[in-house]
This record gives sequence, C-alpha cells and structure tokens, in this order.
Amino acid sequence: MRPTLPQFRGRLHDPRTAVAIGRWLGTAVLVCFLTGLISHFLQHPPGWMAGLLPTRPTWGYRLTQGLHVASGLAAIVLVMAKLWTVYPRLFAWPPFRSPAHLVERLTIALLVAATVFELFTGLINILQWYPWPFSFTSTHYAVAWIVAGSLLLHLAVKAPLIRDNWRSRPGVDTADRRALLTGVGAAVGAVTLTTVGQAVTPLRAFDLLAPRNPDVETQGLPINRTAAAAQVTYASSDGWALEVTGPKPYRITLAELNALPQMEVRLPIACVEGWSANAWWTGVPIRDLLDRAGVPRGTSLRVESLEVWGYYRTMEMPAQYADDLTTLLALRLNGEVLSLDHGYPARIIAPNRPGVLQTKWVSRIEAL
Amino acid sequence: MRALRLALGAAGVAGIVTGLFFLLPQPGLWGVVVWFAGAIALHDALIGPLVLAVGLVVARLPDRAVVRGALITMGGLVLITVPALLRPGPSPNPTVLVQPYGRNLLICLAVVAVVAVVLVVLRRRR
Repeated sequence: MRPTLPQFRGRLHDPRTAVAIGRWLGTAVLVCFLTGLISHFLQHPPGWMAGLLPTRPTWGYRLTQGLHVASGLAAIVLVMAKLWTVYPRLFAWPPFRSPAHLVERLTIALLVAATVFELFTGLINILQWYPWPFSFTSTHYAVAWIVAGSLLLHLAVKAPLIRDNWRSRPGVDTADRRALLTGVGAAVGAVTLTTVGQAVTPLRAFDLLAPRNPDVETQGLPINRTAAAAQVTYASSDGWALEVTGPKPYRITLAELNALPQMEVRLPIACVEGWSANAWWTGVPIRDLLDRAGVPRGTSLRVESLEVWGYYRTMEMPAQYADDLTTLLALRLNGEVLSLDHGYPARIIAPNRPGVLQTKWVSRIEAL
Repeated sequence: MRALRLALGAAGVAGIVTGLFFLLPQPGLWGVVVWFAGAIALHDALIGPLVLAVGLVVARLPDRAVVRGALITMGGLVLITVPALLRPGPSPNPTVLVQPYGRNLLICLAVVAVVAVVLVVLRRRR
C-alpha cells in the first residue's frame, strides 16, 4: 500500500540541477579534504614524513588553511542547495527496489549525514565552541575520510547520470535554472566575501561575519590561546632561563638572550581555525642556540612550554625547520617585547607551520 | 567507463573503511552517532521543509528569479552566522568572536535586499 507522500512539481529538482550544483560542491569538498589532509600531516606527520615537510613557501599553511575554511564555508551553502535539489527523492516509493538499491540509499544517508556533520562541526569549531561529547580534531579527521569515500562511491554509482547531464542542453536549461544557479553562486560569493578577510588581508574591510578580524589584535596580531587559558602568568617566568640540551647543554637568561645577535623576520601566524596575519618577529635564530649546545645540523627538536596543561605543551620540530634561517626563538613582536598572551618571555616562530606549533612561553629546547 | 566506475567505487569503499577505522576506536562514539542522526533530522525535517515552503510562495511572486537568488544568499549568510549568535558563554579570548554579529548580519541582509531591488528595477526597465 502506498502511503500519502508529498508531491513535488518543481521542475528544477532534476538530475541536471543536481549535476550543476554537485560539480561545485564536489570541487569545494575536494579542496577542503586535501587542504585538511595537509593540515593533519603538518601537525601529525608519520615518522617517514616528518623530514619531508616543506619549509617553503613561508605562507604555505596560511594559503592551505585559509582555503580549507573558505571552501568549507562555501560548501555549507552548496550542500544545502544540493539537498534542496534532491529532496523529493527522499519520498521515492517504494523505498527501495532491490537489495543493491537499499545499500545505495544507505550510503547516500551516510554521505549526507557525514557531510552535514563535518561542515557544521567545522563551522562551530572555528568559534572555539565545543558543544559535543567527542574530540573535535580526531573526529573531524576520521569523518573527513567517510565524506570523501562516500562521495567517490556516490560518483561511481551516479556516473551515467552525471555524464548525461554534464552539458547544458537547449530546452532543458531554461532561464529559471540559470537564475537558480546564479542565486546559489551569489550566495557562495556573499558568504566568501564576508568571511575570507580573516585570512586575505586586502579583503579585511568586508570581514563582517568571520569569527576573527585581524584588525582586532594586540601587538598587531590576534591570539588563539591566552596566557590565562594556559595558566601562565608573569610570575611563571620569574627566574626564567631557557634550557637547551645537546652535547654541551646550557641555561640562558632573558638578558643573555637579548644580548645575542638578533634577527628580524616577517612570518605569518596561520591558525587551524582559518585566520592568519603577518608580523615582524625579532629574536635569536634557533640554529644559533643549537650551535652553542654543539647540536649538529639535521637534528630534530622537542620544545616545551611553561604551559601547565595543553595538547600542544610540548611540540616536536623536524630538523629542516630547526635548521631554517628564519626559525627564531622570538623575543619581540612588531618591535615590542612579547606580551604575556603572545608568549613572553620567548616563543617559537617558524615558516610554514600551523599556529598551534608556534609554541609560546618556551622553557626548554631538547635536541632529539 | 565500467573500469573507471569500479575503481571509483573501490576507492570510495576504501575511504569509508579508513574513516571508520579511525572513528570506531574513539571515546564518545555514541555522541558522533547522535550528531550524525541529528544532522539528517535537522535538514530533512526542519530546514528542507521550511525552504520548500518558502519556495512555494516565491514561485508565485513576480521577479521570482531575483527574489529567489536574494533569499538563497540571505539564507547562506544566516546559516554561517547563526552559531556565532547562539554560542553561549564569554568569548575565550578578546580576539575571537570579535564582531557584533547580529548587527553585521542585518547590514549584510540589507545590502542583499538593496541589490535585489536594484536588479528588479533594472530588469523591468529593459
């Protein structure tokens, strides 16, 4: 018996619209997935990969993570448009025609659930809001694979339909459909324009809706983890001396660090949450500190922070970053002594690394 | 074509298996299941019907192409701003959630409305 189901007469709920919007959505998801993988491996490289991570371009992570968040935000609009297009199929009757058809519908449910889950938890995460009982980073990573996998499976199943509807055809592509696609494009443009300024400096004036605005800063730079959150105070660094281990281990005070030859570099802080900004950093090249300890080139490091607790209290730095000329133990930011929130007395700044690895309140550098 | 489809499908299954391999051992897995189901329920039972109901009205309006485009744009802007408006508690630090989101959203929606009106006027003159 056929139950009473909603009827849809709109002519745009058809495969041609699904393909036209699906192409954009697929592109956004692909960019989001690949840039997400880059971010994952920069933070958690398997052993064989650690030595291969590139230090150039210095703004590489700024670009890829900016793209990650921008493509994710664009995909939110696109996935809604895509789901609108195919919504009537939810009420197809009979619910499945064969066991294979049932499996296909279940994988589509997985694709939809995983995609919406991934995009919205990502959106909520960039607000530093965690209203769920699971770990964001590891879940976001795992579900990304489910999104990518179920999308490829979906493309495989729908390949003939996609091929048949790939090109526009007279009679099928009416003004009404063009108007719909233009509207969706306009929505993507508006969402991008009002948020991407958190990473793209020339568009800052249009940054009205992003969680960050790089113009809201201290010492010229926004903050991700405050000293209060890390439970670090000026008292924490009373009697502070940096400990450097190696063949000739030593401790060095802030006054002695300030007396060493200083180097000034311009490097960005680029955060996993998608914002980024450039800054001038002054400090002692890490390589100089390692030379004093007799640490040979090609040695990777473990850097520890005064932080009481945190996922990134200790950070590992592959050798190519440690040996890079621009990698500093920074003491100054934009010409001023680091504020406590920016990592006083000393912090790491290295090229092409995620912000969470630019360790603040450094207490110890250990040659591995 | 057939070989390509099989390869795509196999890669897809491999991707899903990889994701489950990372996901299943995690604590809080039940929470993920609930949020997955919630994602479908939120769209299929609330957002989808709401948008379709608005669409029924828009379909009867003059200049519906522009009206629909404006509403889609407004919907997108609302969707990405709602979490910032709903987020409870104080901002974790003075440089995150720095904007007056309610006011800024209204400004953006007003700009979209003005652009839509201008487009309608231009189209009618032609």
